[in-house]
Amino acid sequence: MNMNAVNSLSPQLDAEKLPPPETPWQEFVRVYKKDRMAIVSSIVLAILVVVGISGKVFTEWVVVFDSEVVRLPDKFLPPLSAPSVDVVPEEDLPILSLYVFGTDELGRDVFARMLQGSFVSLSIGFVAVGISLVVGLFLGGLAGFFGNIKLLKIMTVDTLIMRFTDVMLCIPTFFLILTVVALLPPSIYNIMIVIGLFGWMGTCRFVRAEILALRQQDFVVAAEALGLPKSRIIFRHLIPNAIAPVLVSTTIGVATAILTESALSFLGFGVQPPYATWGNILNDGRGFIFDAPWLFVIPGMAIFVVVLAFNLVGEGLREALNPKLRRR
Amino acid sequence: MLAYIGRNLLLRVVLLFIVSVLIHGLIHLAPGEPSAVDPSNPRMKPEDIAKIRAAFHLDDPLYLQYGYWVRDLVQGELKSFKDNQPVLGKIWRRFLNSLPLFICSTLIVWTLAFPVGIQAAIRRGAVFDRSSTFVAYALISFPGFFLSYIAILGVVEIFQVPVIGMRTFGMEGAAGSFRFMDRVWHLVIPSLLAALGGIAVLSRYVRSQMLEVVSQDYVRTARAKGLPNDTVIYRHALRNALIPFITMFGLLIPGLVGGSVIFETIFAWPGLGLLGYEAILSRDFPVILTLNVFGAMLTLIGTLVSDVLYGIADPRIRLE
Amino acid sequence: MRLKRWLLFAPLLLTVFLLQSYFWVPTYEHQATGNPKRLVTYIQGSSGDAKVLNPILNADSASSNIVGHVFEGLLDLDADLNLRGRLATEWAISEKAYLFVSASNRFPDGTEVTGTQLINRIRAALKEKSFSTLAKNIKDIQVLPPEKLTQKISMTEKGEDGKPKRGEVEISFNMPARVVFSLHQVDQDFFTQLMPVIGDRYLENFPYDQHLNLPEGIQPEIETQIHAQLADLFPVAEHNPIIDFQLRKGVRFHDGHEFDVGDVKFTYEAIMNPKNLSPRTSDFEPIKFVKVLDTHRVRVVYKRLFSPAINAWMMGILPEHLLNAEAMQQEMEKRELSDAARAAFGMRDSQFNRAPVGSGSYQFVEWQSDEFIHLTRFEQYWEGPAEYHEFFMRIIPDLFTQEVEFHAGALDDYGAQPHQVSRYREDAQYQNFSSLGFGYSYIGYNNRRPLFADPEVRKALGMAINVGDFIKYLLYGEGERITGPYPKNTQWYDPSVPPLPYDPEGAKAILMSLGWTLNADGWLEKDGKVFEFNLITNNGNPIRKNIMTIAQNAWKKIGVKCNTQVFEWAVFLKDFVNTAQFDAVVLGWSMGVDPDLFQLWHSSEAGPQQLNFVGYNNPKSDDLIVRIRQEYDVKRQREMTHQLHQQIHEDQPYTFLYAPLGTKVLDKKIVLVQRDEDGNETYEKIYPTKSGNIEFYFNKWRKLEMTPDF
Repeated sequence: MNMNAVNSLSPQLDAEKLPPPETPWQEFVRVYKKDRMAIVSSIVLAILVVVGISGKVFTEWVVVFDSEVVRLPDKFLPPLSAPSVDVVPEEDLPILSLYVFGTDELGRDVFARMLQGSFVSLSIGFVAVGISLVVGLFLGGLAGFFGNIKLLKIMTVDTLIMRFTDVMLCIPTFFLILTVVALLPPSIYNIMIVIGLFGWMGTCRFVRAEILALRQQDFVVAAEALGLPKSRIIFRHLIPNAIAPVLVSTTIGVATAILTESALSFLGFGVQPPYATWGNILNDGRGFIFDAPWLFVIPGMAIFVVVLAFNLVGEGLREALNPKLRRR
Repeated sequence: MLAYIGRNLLLRVVLLFIVSVLIHGLIHLAPGEPSAVDPSNPRMKPEDIAKIRAAFHLDDPLYLQYGYWVRDLVQGELKSFKDNQPVLGKIWRRFLNSLPLFICSTLIVWTLAFPVGIQAAIRRGAVFDRSSTFVAYALISFPGFFLSYIAILGVVEIFQVPVIGMRTFGMEGAAGSFRFMDRVWHLVIPSLLAALGGIAVLSRYVRSQMLEVVSQDYVRTARAKGLPNDTVIYRHALRNALIPFITMFGLLIPGLVGGSVIFETIFAWPGLGLLGYEAILSRDFPVILTLNVFGAMLTLIGTLVSDVLYGIADPRIRLE
Repeated sequence: MRLKRWLLFAPLLLTVFLLQSYFWVPTYEHQATGNPKRLVTYIQGSSGDAKVLNPILNADSASSNIVGHVFEGLLDLDADLNLRGRLATEWAISEKAYLFVSASNRFPDGTEVTGTQLINRIRAALKEKSFSTLAKNIKDIQVLPPEKLTQKISMTEKGEDGKPKRGEVEISFNMPARVVFSLHQVDQDFFTQLMPVIGDRYLENFPYDQHLNLPEGIQPEIETQIHAQLADLFPVAEHNPIIDFQLRKGVRFHDGHEFDVGDVKFTYEAIMNPKNLSPRTSDFEPIKFVKVLDTHRVRVVYKRLFSPAINAWMMGILPEHLLNAEAMQQEMEKRELSDAARAAFGMRDSQFNRAPVGSGSYQFVEWQSDEFIHLTRFEQYWEGPAEYHEFFMRIIPDLFTQEVEFHAGALDDYGAQPHQVSRYREDAQYQNFSSLGFGYSYIGYNNRRPLFADPEVRKALGMAINVGDFIKYLLYGEGERITGPYPKNTQWYDPSVPPLPYDPEGAKAILMSLGWTLNADGWLEKDGKVFEFNLITNNGNPIRKNIMTIAQNAWKKIGVKCNTQVFEWAVFLKDFVNTAQFDAVVLGWSMGVDPDLFQLWHSSEAGPQQLNFVGYNNPKSDDLIVRIRQEYDVKRQREMTHQLHQQIHEDQPYTFLYAPLGTKVLDKKIVLVQRDEDGNETYEKIYPTKSGNIEFYFNKWRKLEMTPDF
């Protein structure tokens, strides 16, 4: 919009009276900007990413906020209280001599733990979704593009992949995640991988559907008729056009993964110490609802805000990227 | 049609077989022993453990163990490792417990999601649309157990009535109607919590489906004819928008097994989810395997039902 | 528009229907006051369901809890943890000691050993003054003629696939003539005291080869295996402790059938029946045979000295008439089982385990899996019926919901955590109890690792941890410091052993004196290697997780680098503990009442899958451990356990942390009801026994309408 305004003011471009036609990107930005919820959520997410990275930096590399110091005499202090200076040794005092989010049952600084957890929680979300995205895109693309190649003369690639997807869809997902996580050692990587590996089926299905639909479209047919190399067709024409729904499902997928991690924590199969995640901080806190409610409320609300932000951004993207919905 | 169903049944049986083999392999290759084989029990000597392992066929090759499982399942004599009780009987009882919860939450989802979704579509961009979007997403953005705890605390503190379990304890002597209503009350909170996710997803789906249909030519034609808005929406648009949801009936069925572990744990509801969770904890292989296969079977039946329903509802689709 | 109206009405209707149900539900208030039956109903919350309601099969705490109410053993423990008769009224322990007439040996003066010579010499010696204490203990001496015995011996052979396979061989053994001594009391040193008569080396060099007949064509490896077992199977000198039980007359099972000696024998046989896969076999394995003397007298003869064996009789007695072969056959018929299922059918498969019948104070009513177990009091209980009429165990998996239900009065009892107990302590509505139990927590070091080989190192690590603070802040005082391997509430624990001081500087000094120096990063270092190890524990136990974090923090302060990890229980056992592939663990033991520590601390029990996984090895302790389990005199046992306690404290194979206090929070309205002979009731405040058992008088508990004033 601003660019257009500048353009029309500039005398050199008098010849072009009409503003140039909107590119899809500009159109997307215009629609997205109107969605105030999505904008606010995007800002929240941007802040979150900064928090996550600083969480890694300031609790592990340059220890400004030490999440591991145990100060038993200072246990269960409510948020914004000051440490008891006479009992706690000086080197153990929190920064600014203030427990912003209070302390937990071991007298650890909840703020530092939340900060550290933000990075782990986010990375679980992103890595898990990344895995499911890669698997889903790969299998979906394979099924969509090379679907009619016959294998051993009995079935096509498409049938094979889609039947496999069916198999995976058949298994009650959370239950299976639970089974696998319970049986495997609960390392943080296993949890990421398991959440990721059981979440690709949706992506796979609609990538395939999208590609099948796109292949019928004139521009792809034309590209094929021109004899363009397959890789160019795939990467230049198909993937960029199929990416919109993938983007939406990725955003919402991150939200789901964070929630799944907290649900696993509740059942005792979440990420184990020494890693702090919002899920396991919340789970540790639930035993002390009556004694120290902030241990439950703070991580709970943090998860809520972040997941909501991811969901609303996803919804905003869906609205802005859906050409049918956009038209009116 | 019959041929279609027959062919699909066959395919689904094959799928079921593959699923069961996969899960069988998974649970047996993973570390951990059934809890009856408890190496930390000081009373047990290695000979005792060897005896128990032999009785459970744990030292046989995997394919044989799978064979035993199939044999016992078919004969209806599959026994749990944990207490030697018949697995099918166990699952059936838990299924009956889970069923009311499932039905109630499904009813809530379907009755609430449609009006909300339709209204949101009609008033697209208006306050109702925005706030319903926000509320729907807000409710599914809470970790399930966080919300459950808050709900339990709220109800118990404010209304002073029990919410935990399937019924109030000590009401054995009360009149039938009281006992029935008591059971209904115990359903309300857990099924409402379990329904939240469904309401959000389904109402969003109804909304987008309606928007899609409303922009179709025949709706525009109907409007052009000067028909009242309600008639256009509810008679012309809605009917067509409904078709995809018929298929969702089938896809609901598997929700019976999986989704409710957390709510069943918190609300002390002896359903399938809790059974599975405890089976996993005690490595009760026959129960884990049978339950997963049972869930897969429900999914497969569900997709078949939804395919068939789709064929019946939408004349454009023919099942071959 | 009909559709539109429906779309609006349906949710409205549903909501109204669901919400109106609220008005039909009794409030907690109403449940508690408007219902006199509630006062005689005890509802206990449990986070897990029972598995098997059968005393010879159960192994989990929820089952044991119910089984303890439904079944009764011959004995139990009284308020001071001494044995007390239940289904048995009296019992007497004596011994028969056997000695081979070892013809190949010679007496100290060189004459050959014969039966008559042996017995005459012993008889003569017993008349001497120096043998007077021994003579007093001997009731009778006899000579048994030689006999031929056939016996099955278990061995491992190489299977076809090269893996070891368990099997059995039948051998026959020509038992020589034996002298049998009937003793009034068990005496583990009996034969040592006879040494002056029979010669110091009499028990050695028995020519087993000449007495053994092996089956044809046996492999030489198996033959060596058999030879290795002979001295244990047919010892030259053998102790056979004997317990004679006098059973209580007129006791009935819940179905009215009278209890007698057949039930005791049946219970023993059921445990030993390999088909039943009882987890209690090892408790009853030392029994040689059980002999019925008359309808209410039974004799149990043991193969060897093992003083804790009598405690096994605290286990509930099964009703023979409901579980014998005939009853099992009937059940199989009724359930129409296939042949394969019949062949494998054992007591584990019986429906009895879901609807048990015992002779205890409560009888079984109903069990809804994962919902509740309902018991009702047994009116004909021999000690008189319990005060509570109904007993429920409600299964509520989540601890938070348990607390909510308890708060609301829907539960009478739940497993309150220390921080909750400290909250109830200030509440006038509740009474609460804390008392020592049989468990303790520790950090165990893998003694095999060179890093932990030195007791001084282990001591230094222990001194760095402030256990006092831990008990004060994390257990809210619901724990006591411990110093050794025995439960603190038993007499075996030596209270005079001082705990390790909390002294990080001292700990550092000890490590420095052993050659460790602080490096630039602040870690201790020796020969270029940092003092670093992994501390692990199982998940699902928040207190252990906290111990881990605190230990890590404490050690960091003295320059010891400790990495912590938490594993799921099954993985934790299989990959780390059973294979001894760990540096240090945080764990706890739940001990028994007997002083036997063989499995936990004897050096022979340090192999894979055995319980001495820290690899503790001290010959002095080994000797004490063996002598303790063979000693039947409590006073002497106690002296030895105190020595053992001190020895283990010196070696510090564990850092012994604390014994958690068993806690119970109850409504103050629950009291102990005492009745005099005329049936008049007086009320007392509930109190734990000296040994710490809070529920000892449970059968006399009842809830009153008003809070009493004590």
